[in-house]
Amino acid sequence: MTKILNPISRRRFVAGAVGTGAAVAAPAVLSGARAAGEFKMATFLALSGPASLFGPTQTACGKLAVDQINAAGGIGGRKVTVIPADGGATPAEAAKAAIRLMLRDKVDLVLGSHNSAVREAIVAALKGRVPYVYTPLYEGGECNPNVYVTADTPQQQVQPSISWLAKTLGAKTYYLIGNDYVWPHKTNEQAKKYIAAAGGKVVGEEYLPLGAPNKFEDAVTRIKAKKPDLVVITLVGGDNVNFNRTFAGFGLDKSIKRVSYLLEELTLFGIGAENSAGLYSAMSYFVNEKSEPNAKFKAGFAKAFAPKPPPLSMLGADVYSGVYCAKALVEKAGGTKDAGKLMAAANNLQYRTATGTAVMTNRHVVKDMYLAECKGTSFDIVESFKAVAHGQTCS
Amino acid sequence: MDPILTTNILNVVYEVSTLAVVVLGLAVVFGLLGVMNLAHGEFVMIGAYCAFFVQAQNLPFLAAVPLALLVCAVLGLVVERLLVRPLYARPFDTLLATWGLSMLLREAVEAVYGRAFRSVATPLTGSVDVFGADYPSYRLLLTVVSIALVAGLVWWFVRSATGRRIRAVVNNPELAGSVGIPVTGLARNTFVFGCCLAALAGVMLAPLLPVNPTLGLDFILKSFFVLVVGGLGSLVGLISGSGVIGGVESVVSAFLDRTYGYTTVLIIAILFLWLRPNGLFPRT
Repeated sequence: MTKILNPISRRRFVAGAVGTGAAVAAPAVLSGARAAGEFKMATFLALSGPASLFGPTQTACGKLAVDQINAAGGIGGRKVTVIPADGGATPAEAAKAAIRLMLRDKVDLVLGSHNSAVREAIVAALKGRVPYVYTPLYEGGECNPNVYVTADTPQQQVQPSISWLAKTLGAKTYYLIGNDYVWPHKTNEQAKKYIAAAGGKVVGEEYLPLGAPNKFEDAVTRIKAKKPDLVVITLVGGDNVNFNRTFAGFGLDKSIKRVSYLLEELTLFGIGAENSAGLYSAMSYFVNEKSEPNAKFKAGFAKAFAPKPPPLSMLGADVYSGVYCAKALVEKAGGTKDAGKLMAAANNLQYRTATGTAVMTNRHVVKDMYLAECKGTSFDIVESFKAVAHGQTCS
Repeated sequence: MDPILTTNILNVVYEVSTLAVVVLGLAVVFGLLGVMNLAHGEFVMIGAYCAFFVQAQNLPFLAAVPLALLVCAVLGLVVERLLVRPLYARPFDTLLATWGLSMLLREAVEAVYGRAFRSVATPLTGSVDVFGADYPSYRLLLTVVSIALVAGLVWWFVRSATGRRIRAVVNNPELAGSVGIPVTGLARNTFVFGCCLAALAGVMLAPLLPVNPTLGLDFILKSFFVLVVGGLGSLVGLISGSGVIGGVESVVSAFLDRTYGYTTVLIIAILFLWLRPNGLFPRT
């Protein structure tokens, strides 16, 4: 879940510069301040705001991972306790919370699933003094020191899926529609690259304001006029639901295929079974993924939250994997105090995910990606792509 | 005619007429009582949830209409008695009170249904050939019903005895009271009627929207623009306001994009507030 880029480039620059310094200086300054014993992990999850639809699945998946880790002896022998914070808050509030968590609660690690504006605020607040794991799919480019991104990147979502769809569906013409902020623009940048590589042509591209009460009759009529083979959708949340319902309402689902890059179980439920024909989604997790680790993960989830488990979705599974990434990272680095050691440990770090294992390089994750076709309100995985590169170059 | 142009024209008519239905209840209540009901969008939202509830019980879609009317009428009665009536003639206080009410209703619905998107299946699928353009049947039906609803209300307001009484109360409440018109009862009924119109709009639009607790917020701002442009308190104003706001937005959106559509609507609303604050058809 990413959102409008914060217009604080100068602060970011300063934060980056200071962060680099702090990464070197911090261990000496802070080593005495942190208590051994329990391992304190702050989590910024969507407790309020538009993304709070995903809050229950994020919180539950995080709890599941922490409980499993504690049952197996904790992180580096220390029992994990979670200190929750609101990732749905404004960037300024999130920054304040991050500072409080770092200085007063002396957390060992921060884990977050929220938009990019909040991520940048937290990065600027932490200045690399506390390791920070960021989990939801995003636009790429986060290379600040001591930040570890387990998210799907546009390269991972777009490259294999566009190539597959171009080949399998024979798609030649494409129409791009998204919300007007950084993630759709960056994702479409990649999409255009791979559409061109597949010999396709973009016949239309449009962006709608984020957070406005958008209606899609006009956009769907434009798409109808252009008759593309494939519509590439980077709309989020309610807009994604609304667009796809309007699209199918106008009967375009019969002749035009769609691929959406932020379409998970909860959004598909809103789109509804009668509107999801010919709709694809490409991400690193679907509840229907058929591997043995995922079956175990789902069984554990169902058991832990019986009798009424919250709905499961990618944004939750990401948090689960993020917690395991944190454990692997801290144990490999031998603690959380030395940012340099942590960043070195992150290279070729292997950790457990909901569907198996993943490998971190450049503080991003090489992972298996899936392309799924909607069948009613569930996903049918039509293709798996093994160890897809993240395309990020953080040192 | 070019089918795409036909589709665009139908889109404009659809947008204007559905907007008019959403604003109808708000305009009736404001025009007649001077009460700006900021919880109007939440009554639309509750109407939409009634449609979802009915579908979840496997009942026919039309069963949502009496249910939504009942729920919102009862809710409207309670709200009128406890919140609106004590605050008549205090417009700013009413504004704050109904804003608070809107939050309460959103939270209440969220407590029952959560924030998840709910999908209401379209009761009428398929499309109709209109001058060579395939247009979705349900949207077409909605357009027709909306126009009929607005026209019927205008006719009733102009022709019926109740309509005359309401106009009398609007013009001079004291005088109306002194000639024996039950002002309090009329005000209550008008408020409840406005809530019921919102509920009806919610049921009608539910199959086309992502039904969730914040759905009402999407309507309230545009509804105000309609009242700003059209002028407060007349049905002609409502219709012309919906025409200008809905029409301009969908025409500009059709030929440029939504961002330009919103910008144009904002500019129009600002110009009206600045140069013609009483709108096109002010109440005399």
